[in-house]
Amino acid sequence: MNLPLFTTDLCLKCNICTAACPVAAVTDLFPGPKFVGPQAERYRHPRLSMPDVSVDWCSGCGICSRVCPHGVAVAEINILAKGRLTKERHTPLRDQLIAHPELLGRIASPIAPVANTSIHLRPARWLLEKTIGISRHAPIPTFTRIPLRKRFRDRCFDTPLDIKHDIDHTVAFFHGCSSNYYEPELGEQTIAILERLGYEVVIPPQICCGLPLQSNGLFDAARRHAQANITWLAPFAKQGIPIVGTSTSCTLMLKHDYRTILGIRGEDVETIATSTYDFFEFLTIFVKNEINRIKFNSLHARALYHPPCKLRNHGIGAPALSILRQIPELQLHLSESECCGAGGTYGMKLEKFPVAYEVGQGLFNQISQLELDFVICDSETCRWWIAKHTGLPVYHPLEIMARAMDIQP
Amino acid sequence: MTEVLIVGAGLTGLFASLLVAERGNAVTLVAQGRGGLELSHGCIDIWGRATPSRALSRLRKSHPYRLAGTAALHAALEFFEEITQQAEYPFPGSISRNLHLPTALGAIHPTALAPQSLAQGDLFDGTPFTLAGIDNLRDFYPQLAASNLRRAGIAVQSVLDLPIPLDDTRHDFYTSDLAHLFDKSNWREEVARVWKPQLIGIKRLGLPAVLGLRDPQHVLEDLQERLGLTLFEIPTLPPSLPGLRLEVILRRRALNTGVHFIEGPRVVGRIDGRSDGRRVSGVVLQTVGGPRVHTADVVILATGGILNGGLVFQQDGRVQESVFDLPVNYDQGRGYWTTTSPLDSQPYSGYGLLVNDLMQPLDAKGAPIFENLYVAGGLLGGADRTMEGSRQGIDLATAYRAVEVALG
Repeated sequence: MNLPLFTTDLCLKCNICTAACPVAAVTDLFPGPKFVGPQAERYRHPRLSMPDVSVDWCSGCGICSRVCPHGVAVAEINILAKGRLTKERHTPLRDQLIAHPELLGRIASPIAPVANTSIHLRPARWLLEKTIGISRHAPIPTFTRIPLRKRFRDRCFDTPLDIKHDIDHTVAFFHGCSSNYYEPELGEQTIAILERLGYEVVIPPQICCGLPLQSNGLFDAARRHAQANITWLAPFAKQGIPIVGTSTSCTLMLKHDYRTILGIRGEDVETIATSTYDFFEFLTIFVKNEINRIKFNSLHARALYHPPCKLRNHGIGAPALSILRQIPELQLHLSESECCGAGGTYGMKLEKFPVAYEVGQGLFNQISQLELDFVICDSETCRWWIAKHTGLPVYHPLEIMARAMDIQP
Repeated sequence: MTEVLIVGAGLTGLFASLLVAERGNAVTLVAQGRGGLELSHGCIDIWGRATPSRALSRLRKSHPYRLAGTAALHAALEFFEEITQQAEYPFPGSISRNLHLPTALGAIHPTALAPQSLAQGDLFDGTPFTLAGIDNLRDFYPQLAASNLRRAGIAVQSVLDLPIPLDDTRHDFYTSDLAHLFDKSNWREEVARVWKPQLIGIKRLGLPAVLGLRDPQHVLEDLQERLGLTLFEIPTLPPSLPGLRLEVILRRRALNTGVHFIEGPRVVGRIDGRSDGRRVSGVVLQTVGGPRVHTADVVILATGGILNGGLVFQQDGRVQESVFDLPVNYDQGRGYWTTTSPLDSQPYSGYGLLVNDLMQPLDAKGAPIFENLYVAGGLLGGADRTMEGSRQGIDLATAYRAVEVALG
């Protein structure tokens, strides 16, 4: 049995999670995290089919677990239930497709110009919506011609044994699919910032963290991805090399989901979990003093920072804030919304899109009222989603940091 | 600039964080989950049994009100009023005279300050009132409330069940579901159209607290105008909207004044600092990835009492402080914790930490344990908040005192 299920009995039915759930707030298709989680779990027989399918409307944002004062793993219970639901039903081609961002990247990047042009054409989007159910209003990222790993072949190491330099000042970069295939400039700036702060950056072998698979209920495939990453990353973690990522959902997989949701046990996965850091978490812990000494350039701009759900679920607050606040003349507003609605691949789905969009409405309204120059958010799918629905550029906080340090993309 | 870490995000922790931030200091608020405020009636009880202002001067010296001091209570209330006024969610009432509000069970709740939508339900206001339930909401039964109020000698004009204008609902409503609907003006228009014919001859109508979450004052005024009567709300089982609204207001203000929220991890230990361990230099947070150290100049514990996880009552008869295992004042042996009558004052409700008038927790000899560690709110012993009707007043006053001392 998975551990989250043991927390079911800690639930007092206080409904703090129900009141916090952004999806339940906008649609009665979803009866709320408590209802489909600790409450419904009692009716799910291990050998009978799922009696209620409304858990499928959960976007997986995880706020329910975070706000629970009693330690109930509400979101985890719901994700596990979604996994069972997928096993019992047939998985649509659409879900299979969007669950494989890495595979898509590998296929499309060599033909990036063609792929990008054709996939963003209106008839193509219309066709995708009609045939497989990907909403034509959802953002689709642009493939890069040259993935990050190809740009930095000299920093790719198969094992820590090959590293020649000072291991105490080395970090292993978990770039994820996004920085490799969709936004390699982000990866370049990550490496540049870390190097400026005196660290050597190595890129260990890795594949997609498996989150899109897990979110779409494809647990077996997600577990295969996890196992591969564990095999590759464990030797680095065991050498004491911190694993740093800029995608908050990938790092959360390494820290949390591999163990708690995919149920992987053992010394390797534990070491990886405790050695993994969000990029800004790493900076505020390991180079706090150096950061405080940096003289950042002025950035005359009005911006809003929206910490994504997956970052909040790390339980580390929003470490980028302390650095963004050091940048002179950057007028920073904070998001008053818990969630932008995107939910990774959730908002791409034709039937989910209206719900996802309405979840984001509060944030979109706040953004439009503030007359901003740009928005800042750590998570890639949230960035693409917010940019699409507000028309503003949305940057990773590290891009703003890089700009204030004169690091060019 | 002093770096302050506050543990606990209930009324005490949120209020303290605002006090710290608005004096220009860096503050981090860490909490495992959201606090008891969301489960509360959302009013400010100061002293339930008599005129608050007079009763407070006659308390024992070890009572949290006496330790914090009357000046702290008054200053705290002034700041609270400023916060709620600016959020356009005013709290009528005063410390010199209690309001008497109906509960969902039909009991009488004396409270000093209540949001306007609740304050309009004052039972001694003189205007006759009707109580109404809402179809599809299982958490409020007007017949039950009315019959208990009538037994207490309060006249209830009539009792109604009001329909909601929906053809089809997929599941029973929580109060939060209804509140989201009441936030929409077209919904209020439709509700008013359906309800108005049933409300002829009614001057004052009591409803379960569901009238909006985002801008409740506007929802109240708008709906009153559409229905042509005075409305009041009665807090329900959780989600308790009045508690939730207050939390949203405090949280939003905290966010906008630069409070750094760390939500989720448990505080599992402290790091002792210089001066023979007489100072705390930080805490250890159990995050999803692993333990993380968070350093601070000052730590304020606002983790609450037995209902909020600040105190843990063990099977073996020990009562422990949940974060740092500080000494708790309690009776050894589970047999002493309760009395035979459940409606009497219970000994356990007075258990908690002993502090001096600087809000520093004390050891067995009565000396402060750490110079820069302060305690506020429900974690403090020496008060039976339930019987006194003093819970939120103690929270605000002790939070104010702790911050005042901590920042010097």
